Amino acid sequence: MPFTDQEILETIRMVELETLDIRTTTLGISLLDCADSDLETTCEKVYTKITHHARDLVKTADGIASDYGVPIVNKRIAVTPVAWIAGPSGAEDLTPLALALDAAAKEVGVDFIGGFSAYVHKGFTRADQALFESIPHALSVTDHVCSSVSLGSTRAGINMNAVARFSELVLETAALTASTGGLGCAKLVCFCNVVEDNPFVAGAHVGIGEAETVLNVGVSGPGVVRSVLERLGPEADLGQVASIIKRTAFKITRMGELVGREAARRLGTTFGIVDISLAPTPAVGDSVSDILELLGVDRTGAPGTTAALALLTDAVKKGGVMASSSVGGLSGAFIPVSEDQGMIDAVRDGALSLAKLEAMTTVCSVGLDMVAVPGNTPVDVLTGIIADELAIGMVNQKTTAVRIIPVPGKGPGETVEWGGLLGTAIVQDPGRYGCRILHARGGRIPAPVQSFRN
Amino acid sequence: MSRRFLTAEDVRRAEGAELVVDAQTVVTPQAQEVAAARGITLRTSAGAWQPPAPDRGPDAPRRGEGLAGDHPYLDEPGDAAAGDSVVVTCVGRNRPGVLAEVTGAIAASGVNIDDISQKMIEDYFHMVLVLTMPPGLDFASFKQQLECLGAGDFVVRVMHEKVFRYMHRL
Repeated sequence: MPFTDQEILETIRMVELETLDIRTTTLGISLLDCADSDLETTCEKVYTKITHHARDLVKTADGIASDYGVPIVNKRIAVTPVAWIAGPSGAEDLTPLALALDAAAKEVGVDFIGGFSAYVHKGFTRADQALFESIPHALSVTDHVCSSVSLGSTRAGINMNAVARFSELVLETAALTASTGGLGCAKLVCFCNVVEDNPFVAGAHVGIGEAETVLNVGVSGPGVVRSVLERLGPEADLGQVASIIKRTAFKITRMGELVGREAARRLGTTFGIVDISLAPTPAVGDSVSDILELLGVDRTGAPGTTAALALLTDAVKKGGVMASSSVGGLSGAFIPVSEDQGMIDAVRDGALSLAKLEAMTTVCSVGLDMVAVPGNTPVDVLTGIIADELAIGMVNQKTTAVRIIPVPGKGPGETVEWGGLLGTAIVQDPGRYGCRILHARGGRIPAPVQSFRN
Repeated sequence: MSRRFLTAEDVRRAEGAELVVDAQTVVTPQAQEVAAARGITLRTSAGAWQPPAPDRGPDAPRRGEGLAGDHPYLDEPGDAAAGDSVVVTCVGRNRPGVLAEVTGAIAASGVNIDDISQKMIEDYFHMVLVLTMPPGLDFASFKQQLECLGAGDFVVRVMHEKVFRYMHRL
């Protein structure tokens, strides 16, 4: 037999009992050739191009899931930031483009489409400005469109004008989607050191260096890592712990590599990257928080959590990099608060504060993700939270992001249900103090000395 | 370089009863509607216009050369050598006829069994079979047929051998 029974059963167990899955197959489509001097014609081309290229995406992904016996949970599309193609039209309201993306997503049956985006880490073009002003309305009238903006980078510093305006947009979006608990903000994210081949929403889009179309895959498997740690027990030292996480990440990534190659082959496109992030879901056991607690902290958020998360993120990366030559995206460990049952419980029990969460983002793969704050949070407090998070990314030359939801009508400690993969959140207390003057100053935080590497 | 898109606006501007487009041109649904409403026929220099296959751009690996097996860089060493092997696992409560039921269904589809391994743990058995798929057999329906077996006593899973090779072999 080419494999031992043990190997075969290990794989079956990962899929059957430990919720190993391919979290997303994301087809990236460049829209650069859709720019037109008329916005309506641009929308027409955008819709046509997306439906043309992605028409077989869902069918192909389902076929692969069936052939290989591995669930593929989400099928998504990422496109060129639409601010880049809206310029020639001179339009001031880009909502029609969002509607075109939404209609195309519905036509081909994908879960989300990312790319209602702009890069403004140094400044705004007229189209970037138009996109910013369109975000709240666009997110409130569409179902599947995700928006992301780049507000800073290690090379450029942080555009604080953009951060301040973004904070206002977050509040406006929350107000426009108040009936769903501010759900519009779950589709809106800002970045420092944005990743151009990220397959995960809300930040998915296709950067300027990408091909005409490209297939990226995000694998997951917190449940698998959790159960190997459970079997390893509390006696093993941290070297052994790191080693077993590494080996598990290797196996998970191999599955992503196989699916990515196969999907690219069947769609006749280029295989881009595997994103090896451990991405939790609200399902019991599919939790990064559980892993941290198995590593040895009493509760997620307790002292020791950042160190445990650093070990986890690093071990996942090392296993993944060995397993695939195409590791990319964000690749590490996600800590979206509302999407991880363990994190939700930790917040509810007062173990995990916003401050500790921020510390954890210095060593995780992304940043403050799916954090709920009171609906009446002042705009300067949001600016401060976002700027802090972006500063961490800027100085440490890593990607950081903020996806924060001011929940209308809710105060600290209250619960909000978004349902599905977005989960449940406990509203967190951002504290009594803000940064009004910092918010009002405007301008740019200059690029840090770390950026001068040439 | 041919025209990438034909939009409704392009059709409105067109004169005559015919519009010649390139075979690779993508015609938007709106353009097709306008053309139909005005009785304009779309055609390429070679004949009637057909929606082109999705164009993957210059980065696409050798467009038009077919799919499976034609893109060497998509394959890992060993991918080509491996045949269409399938791993079937059954786990469940033991009773007379389990093996016959599973192997009978496999034989009925004309699939050869390369290897069987079976173990009992108390009243439960687990069995692993490695099969070679004959060319032309519809994998999806074969898989469905096997996974319907068991009638509550045991569970069958059918997975492509590649999954195990990618995960457990370097």
